Amino acid sequence: MPTLELKIDRLEKLVGKELEISELEYDLQWISLDLEDINEEEQKIKVEYNPNRPDFASPEGIARALKGYYEIEEAIPKYDLKDSGITLNVDPSVKKVRPYIVCGVVRNVDLDEDEVATLMNIQEQLHWAVGRDRKKVAIGVHNIDAIEPPFLYTAVKPDSVSFEPLHGDGYPMNLEEILLLHEKGIEYAHILEGKEVYPIIFDKKDQVLSFPPIINGVITTVTDETKNLFLDLTGTDFKAVNLALNILTTTLSDMGATIEAVTVNYKTGESIVTPNLKPTKWEVDSNYINDYIGLDLSLNEMIKCFKKVRMDAEKSKKKGHLNVYVPAVRGDIIHPVDFAEECAIGYGYYNLPKTIREGCIGRYHPIQTLANKIRTIMIGAGYLEVLNFILSNSTRHYKFMRNEKNEEQLVQIANPVSKEYNTTRTALLPKLLETIQFNRSEEKPIRIFEVGDVILLAPEEETGAKRKLKLAVATYHEDSGFTEIRSVLDFIMNSFGHSQNFEVQPGNNPTYLEGRYGEILLHGNKIGELGEIHPEVLQNFKLEFPVAALEIDCENFID
Amino acid sequence: MTIKLEKQTIEIFKKLRKEDSDSIIASNFAKKIKTDYIVLMSAINELKKHSLGDFKEEEVFQISLTDEGISYLKKNLPERQLLNLMLENELKEIVLEDLLKRSKFNKKLFYIALSHMKSNRWIAQSKATGENKVFLIEEEFPKTEIEIFLQSFKENDKISYNELTKNEKKFVDKLNKRKLIKKQKKTKRIIYLTEKGKKTTLSQIEELSYISKLDTEMIITGSWKEYDLKPFDVSKPGPLLKAGKIHPMIRLINEIREIFLSLGFTEIRGPIIESAFFNFDALFQPQDHPARELHDTFYLDNPKVGSLPEKSRVKAVKETHENGGDSGSKGWGYEWKEDIAKQTLLRTHTTATTIRRLAQYHKNNDQTPIKVFSIDRVFRNEKVDKSHLAEFTQIEGIVIDQNVTLCDLIGLITEFYKKMGFEKVVTRPGFFPYTEPSMEVSVYYDKLGEWLEMGGSGIFRPEVTYPWGIKNPTRVLAWGLGLERLAMLKFQRKDIRDLYINPLKWLREESY
Repeated sequence: MPTLELKIDRLEKLVGKELEISELEYDLQWISLDLEDINEEEQKIKVEYNPNRPDFASPEGIARALKGYYEIEEAIPKYDLKDSGITLNVDPSVKKVRPYIVCGVVRNVDLDEDEVATLMNIQEQLHWAVGRDRKKVAIGVHNIDAIEPPFLYTAVKPDSVSFEPLHGDGYPMNLEEILLLHEKGIEYAHILEGKEVYPIIFDKKDQVLSFPPIINGVITTVTDETKNLFLDLTGTDFKAVNLALNILTTTLSDMGATIEAVTVNYKTGESIVTPNLKPTKWEVDSNYINDYIGLDLSLNEMIKCFKKVRMDAEKSKKKGHLNVYVPAVRGDIIHPVDFAEECAIGYGYYNLPKTIREGCIGRYHPIQTLANKIRTIMIGAGYLEVLNFILSNSTRHYKFMRNEKNEEQLVQIANPVSKEYNTTRTALLPKLLETIQFNRSEEKPIRIFEVGDVILLAPEEETGAKRKLKLAVATYHEDSGFTEIRSVLDFIMNSFGHSQNFEVQPGNNPTYLEGRYGEILLHGNKIGELGEIHPEVLQNFKLEFPVAALEIDCENFID
Repeated sequence: MTIKLEKQTIEIFKKLRKEDSDSIIASNFAKKIKTDYIVLMSAINELKKHSLGDFKEEEVFQISLTDEGISYLKKNLPERQLLNLMLENELKEIVLEDLLKRSKFNKKLFYIALSHMKSNRWIAQSKATGENKVFLIEEEFPKTEIEIFLQSFKENDKISYNELTKNEKKFVDKLNKRKLIKKQKKTKRIIYLTEKGKKTTLSQIEELSYISKLDTEMIITGSWKEYDLKPFDVSKPGPLLKAGKIHPMIRLINEIREIFLSLGFTEIRGPIIESAFFNFDALFQPQDHPARELHDTFYLDNPKVGSLPEKSRVKAVKETHENGGDSGSKGWGYEWKEDIAKQTLLRTHTTATTIRRLAQYHKNNDQTPIKVFSIDRVFRNEKVDKSHLAEFTQIEGIVIDQNVTLCDLIGLITEFYKKMGFEKVVTRPGFFPYTEPSMEVSVYYDKLGEWLEMGGSGIFRPEVTYPWGIKNPTRVLAWGLGLERLAMLKFQRKDIRDLYINPLKWLREESY
């Protein structure tokens, strides 16, 4: 989850109210913010916001919501948006590489130290939360006084244009060189991988503003002296670039700057003016919202709730309906149900009544019931239950057990972070031996069992595999042996009423000792095996005493 | 008057009388007389009953070599090593920098050695020649007292500080300062004879004759009456019973299953190897969503792809992603691809199984309300450490009902956590991609006096339920939490891995 650091004194100035950290801790949760960390000494807090609310990526954004919560200011804030008279033309060639661009102009910027930090941080947050690390949206901030409109957003062959990039080595590089040599080029080259042309923004004199989403030209470098900014936001998602621009410009406006619109002229005939801060209108059924939350609010009460969460609302012409206006910095409203949540937040979750609905008779799943029955049988036999991961390691699962592993028979994990896990288990016994190895210095005898799932490939299944419940039992001490484990088997079969239905026949299995191994048949079908573990297997698990063990498919016991 | 004592106690009494100290450390004495410590202490207890002896506890310092100290035991103190280097290479004088290089010591160790050489008056240091030089100022370099003292140690010696001479204590303090020796405070039992014990002569003592066990013959013939039965120390614990027990996690799972059942929920179980379709797409997670990326999800090479359910349902999911379908949503506005949905993976949440239950709704011609739950394993492709697992257990409950509301969900969750023992429950706004409204749940944990985040909840978005024909006013309430968080609190484990690596000591001792 994204986080943001807030200075209390700055927040107080923005909200226009004295704030106590302890009160904030309580209040913030009701506007879906989570207090992560408190620094009493420096009067700072760290809050976590949800990724669907990038408008919370600045103290200005959070202050907007808090003002609503405290009823200091309600409804959508008004922003003064002039026309800059500036045009940016878009060449259709960008369609193949990075189709969308929106722009804005910000004048009379006079930022203090905190505000500069906020501006840097909000760009970073937007790049991450909205921009998917510049893939979907990339932001460029330029000194507009160093360049001359109109601007052109176009796409060019990688080696056809050279310019001096920001944070470069002081000489011009072509686009290909930047991707190979420049720090930011190396970091973001993957976004342009496989593209024949790269996006670029020129001014009237063919000076390069930016090579999005990689790096700006050095010519538009922003310093403390810079007063007027040009913003470009390019990307692959039209909604996302607009959202990021709206959040950025309104935040700058809250800092006291003047924001101006730019005409973005798509040569295909479409021309738009950005930023577009016009709220979106939705007609919402109040009954639907009341029924969703479980309340019975009047239209006026509901309007009040929406205004508290910084939306606008009014009665619509349709009976029982409201027109709700969503500010341009909110990208998370895509369905009428989203208004149910907004209304509930405005009403206050703490005010919601707790209601109970009766009905339904519950049942346990038969497999879980079976597993519990087996547990009861096994603790009666004096065995201790252990629990292991389904994730497994093919070496220990097969090689240590003296089994040939046939890769085609294994579930294979494509991308494990830890090499420890490259498959899922098909048997429980290897992990029981691992458990004994881990506990070998504990008091003997060690008698353990596990009831759990294994995963078997099954092409007939929808996802190509199925889970199966198995039981494995192992006994480890100086005198463990076949007779002991055979008694356990007899006890289990007897407990399930199968003492007459099963038999054990000799067989071969490299994990077990020859002549001390048997296959367990129920009604003539093999359901498991038991025996004394082969000394080489014991050695692989660094065990010093004999182990006798059994493993059974349990699902055969379901009535 | 004769005093009756057990044979063993008489033996120990005799040996104690021969000691002239008044403060004998019990464990040392047990070793000295080659007797088991427990036997010794039970003899002392018997002497105490007759006011012949007693014991008291005293704090003593035990000293032993640190790892560094042990290493010098083998290869001499660094000052001696440096001296030997100079002697072997006949360096009566040398530039400081050169000596440092030749010594291959790190700087810190080098200066430590140098300062001790100076204080041992082996060398002098001078810049008279313009260079910073070191001179040997002696011909002979006998072992220092500290060296002799150090060598009197054996590697694993534990020596009682209290028993050292004054001089030796001085050396210990010096070596302690150099971190070559560590001092540890230990509580020791001191045993001694009382004044009465010292005065009592052996002729006043008589041996007890006991039998320790009844046999069949004694019981049948009644001859047991002729013997004294040895009384046992009933206060002593017996040896560990290696009994069968159910794993603490399973016990906790079963408690929670009971709570669900009491609230009318039915248990469901679904595949562990899932398709991205049920794990992500059906939850309205866009196909470029970061949560679907490789570092969070275990994707599979074998089986590589799964199949999708009926065409009409797949189409409905596709349309919901692209333009909202019939759900009333705007959708995500991108082109949804079947191939991505067919990828197989280890499910990252049990919600995949929940969706499979929603998919049954129309097939079964179900009647509402429907309440189901699962407590089952899920997987995240994460590095495993003290607080992270790649495989863990999720608890999830859902309710499908008509006109069911957010307030119903709050009521249900509050009841659920109350049954788990959390009296105070707070639900507040939250965010999950597939629920709206969404809520975070916190509970007050008395033992810690803290609020704890205890999972998430919400009403499934219409984009999630509409493709399965579950349409307003029929809605789906859902909530879930991780089992391990609860388990760590309940079992007071600090390392989350303990829950699945089976430390037998814990499994054998954890209370029911």
